[in-house]
Amino acid sequence: MNAAPLTTGGTMKRIIAGAALVAILGAMLGLSCGRKEDAVELHDWNFGGKPRMIEWLRQRIDTFEQTHRGIRVVQSQKSWNMIRELLYADFSVGTGPDVVNVHANYAAEFGGAGYYYPVNTFPDFQEVRKWFVPHLLESTRYRENYYGLPSSGIAFVLVCNKELFDREGISPPRTWSEFREAARRLTKDTDGDGIVDQYGLVLLGGDKGGFAYRLVPFFFKAGAEIMSDDLKTILFNSPEGVSALQLITDMYQVDHSITPGFLAYQLTEINDLFCSNKVAMSIEGPWFRGMVDDKSPGKKIYTVPVPVPDDRIAGYDTAATLQDMVMYSINARTKHPEQAWELLKYLRNEEADMAWIREDLGAIATTRRALESPEAKNQSDLSLYVHELGHAKPWPPHPSMIAIASDIFTPFAQKAIVGELSPREAMDQAAREAQEMIEGKK
Amino acid sequence: MRRYTPYMLLTPALLFTVFILVYPMAQNLVNSFRDVSLVREGRGWTGLLNYEHVFGDAVFWLAFRNTVVYAVAGTLLALLIGLGLALVLDVHTGKMSSVAAGLYSIPWVISPVVAGFAWKWLLNDHFGILNYWLSSAGIARHGTSWLGNPHTALFCVMVARAWQFYPFAMVMFLAGLQSIPAEQYEAASVDGASPLRKFFHITIPNLRPVSSVLLLLGVIWSFNDFNMVFVMTRGGPINASMVLPVLVREFSFVHFDLGKGSALSVLIFALLVTLSFLYLRVLARRERA
Repeated sequence: MNAAPLTTGGTMKRIIAGAALVAILGAMLGLSCGRKEDAVELHDWNFGGKPRMIEWLRQRIDTFEQTHRGIRVVQSQKSWNMIRELLYADFSVGTGPDVVNVHANYAAEFGGAGYYYPVNTFPDFQEVRKWFVPHLLESTRYRENYYGLPSSGIAFVLVCNKELFDREGISPPRTWSEFREAARRLTKDTDGDGIVDQYGLVLLGGDKGGFAYRLVPFFFKAGAEIMSDDLKTILFNSPEGVSALQLITDMYQVDHSITPGFLAYQLTEINDLFCSNKVAMSIEGPWFRGMVDDKSPGKKIYTVPVPVPDDRIAGYDTAATLQDMVMYSINARTKHPEQAWELLKYLRNEEADMAWIREDLGAIATTRRALESPEAKNQSDLSLYVHELGHAKPWPPHPSMIAIASDIFTPFAQKAIVGELSPREAMDQAAREAQEMIEGKK
Repeated sequence: MRRYTPYMLLTPALLFTVFILVYPMAQNLVNSFRDVSLVREGRGWTGLLNYEHVFGDAVFWLAFRNTVVYAVAGTLLALLIGLGLALVLDVHTGKMSSVAAGLYSIPWVISPVVAGFAWKWLLNDHFGILNYWLSSAGIARHGTSWLGNPHTALFCVMVARAWQFYPFAMVMFLAGLQSIPAEQYEAASVDGASPLRKFFHITIPNLRPVSSVLLLLGVIWSFNDFNMVFVMTRGGPINASMVLPVLVREFSFVHFDLGKGSALSVLIFALLVTLSFLYLRVLARRERA
């Protein structure tokens, strides 16, 4: 039997390659260990945002790392669609990001659950709060604590397809009568084949939360409240609330001026329909102009307040719409609250907020300096959004509010619109279930 | 030492199984008897309260009915299509037949999520090709909403599910058809039996075992199917296409009531175990035959 040579050319090569691999891995491990020892690592989850906004954030974090030696930021991009599931799943087991951007109305739900760090406990908070428009900062508050810094103000408005309105020779509506009439006139068979192929209004029916956000502005414009000030009584089934739902129900069932398939639509479908001139109006926020522009560059839109009931036209300029807000928050269980606070301030300071003004990032600035800057006058729709935000109302700060809006308010309102219940029955049943929820019976 | 070697070799696999399968299932069972919420302090053991809440929820009964319809009718539809194509492929053998079999099998290998999105766009009221074809043929109005209509949404996801499952049925039926002895058909021909009589008296009885297996497998898989419904409708509109697996997600990760979600998943598990036992019995009977 011949003994194999101990080393051949091939074996030698393999040994050298193996040793090189081990050396490289060792070096990488050493480097990474060294970095971990030297630097504090923060995890930042960014939900949603236009590509330009995401790119801007990356650049901003790069400069943060350069100016804050010893802090490293690991950024992850996530979808809005699963935000609550992701955050609850992580926060409830004590993990999750150090810094995250979320809806401001999560302050009540997540702040109340002890998942967010109260940023008002940082010594320089009183100085930092002066950067922001006061009532926008208030949206981040739940009880005595502030749970984040405002990132983008959102007021829900009526977006009109200028091409269709101009073709019909009508102006954006101000009252509910004008709104119904405009939707009726803009619902038509454009190619003469006997089939309606253009509709007056589209609603985001396939997203339970998103639908509530688009219906509630009509409730507020009618003077309805969602909940009492002490957060103990559901009020959206008031006559004003029912009249708002009746308006949409009539437009769907009587006028047929709402797209028949709205119950299946997500935001991308709304954008497709709007850009292809299949619909004339939608209730949206500051993101919509950018979405339209990305899909149909140069397409013109009118952005106006959500119409008011005819008998409230005197209050057209002051009637509340729904206010939402995106804020940056800190995980209550972060190991590095000071560093996270530094990052939060860097992302939302007045200088950073100017980018919201100078570039079209699909967000509305929230600092006084940015909003009062000369450049602010050049930004499309900004004056309208700032005006609407001046008297807009957020969702009531109740921990169950998001669940009530998505899982109770929306399904019952949709049942009324498609005719399964009357608006009165739908709102009464929804109010009963919501009341049980806030009383802890459901 | 040698006596323990097999057990030692099996230990990693056993530990892995316990970690990823047994522990989560046991924890889920425990959670179903506890008040577990992600948004508030849990109240500990609650006995059968979660099950009571599940049975007392109107959406559960709607989802249960929808799931039965989705699983049984969807599977039957897939079996019919699969059988039809298998018969065609069985008669026309040759190269083209193999190519056709490969093409017909494509839906089976496509990810359910991708398939769900594709179907969603096919059925889109304004931009979908289905409405274009149907309105061109004068069968349906352009702009007909299939997924946005509570009366048609479940049917649509069922068709999409049948489209995904029929290739498996087709391959199984084809194998079944090719195992039927040719002598049976020859004898029937000698006796002057028509093709229809041969089909009902030879083909169908010979395919009965494979049909039972396919029906059970199809029902089990459809009962457990989350992807297609979630991608296409999320259980909407207004819960019209809500099925049990999507409802588990609603309870657990929308309402954050893990106790109730666990109770529902235990119920689904019990149902599926029963169906699986049935499947095994059918399989055993088939092997004995």
